[in-house]
Amino acid sequence: MAEPIDCAEAGARLQDYLKRELTPELAAEVRDHLVRCRGCFGHAQFEENLLHLMEARARRETCPSALRERIRGLLRAEADRT
Amino acid sequence: MAEPSTASVRSFDDEALPHLDALYRVALRLTGEAAQAEDLVQDTMLKAYRSWRQYRPGTNAKGWLLTILRNTFINSYRRRKLEPVAMDLELIEPHALYRAVESADPEGSFFGRLVDEKVLEAVDALPPDFREVLVLSDMEGMRYAEIAEALQVPVGTVKSRLFRARRLLQAQLYSYAVEMGYIKSREDTDG
Ligand SMILES: [Zn+2]
Repeated sequence: MAEPIDCAEAGARLQDYLKRELTPELAAEVRDHLVRCRGCFGHAQFEENLLHLMEARARRETCPSALRERIRGLLRAEADRT
Repeated sequence: MAEPSTASVRSFDDEALPHLDALYRVALRLTGEAAQAEDLVQDTMLKAYRSWRQYRPGTNAKGWLLTILRNTFINSYRRRKLEPVAMDLELIEPHALYRAVESADPEGSFFGRLVDEKVLEAVDALPPDFREVLVLSDMEGMRYAEIAEALQVPVGTVKSRLFRARRLLQAQLYSYAVEMGYIKSREDTDG
């Protein structure tokens, strides 16, 4: 069994952990630390909240329907040309 | 010379058009204004259509389209009028925002008060290389490997740019939160 990781190691892996880019083994070590450590748990939650906020803000923006129609028209014209 | 056939027009519609929202969002963040973003998306889609035969069906269409969008942006669009102010990363304490929020706002109302418009402003103020990675990763949910491919940089570069981007973003939100009185500055609390 590997040694439990410390706060510094958990902090170093936090970004990759939240992005689900760690191997299952490395992610499990971070998870174990977060369960035991209130400080790191709070930090992880904070980062996650900020991520959700950014994602939610981004999703509110959608391609204007006029642009969508214009592009469809251009693509049809392009297809007819050939 | 072989041109896209009727069948490939249909597959372009099916595979590329669903990504218009994502392309538009990324274009908005890169150009900083709606009119340029619209032109950029339109140019991107026409280029993508003309080189559709180079796309391998079933692979990552979103990444492929974003690569074209980014190259088009770099090659033919003016840089945004307001270039962000250079910030010295060394002067920015990591996790300052979290620490301040943790001590000043234990109930966690910070996120309730933080207007998401401010978050967007902070994103737009990031240096272009950092902003690009943060937008693709945190706003569009792309994986490191997909971003690395789209930007033609190593995965390690994507990770470090994202890390720095987050740090800069949080530094800006920190100043904003102090300014608005949501949290106290560290000088105030330490003194
Ligand atoms: Zn810890």
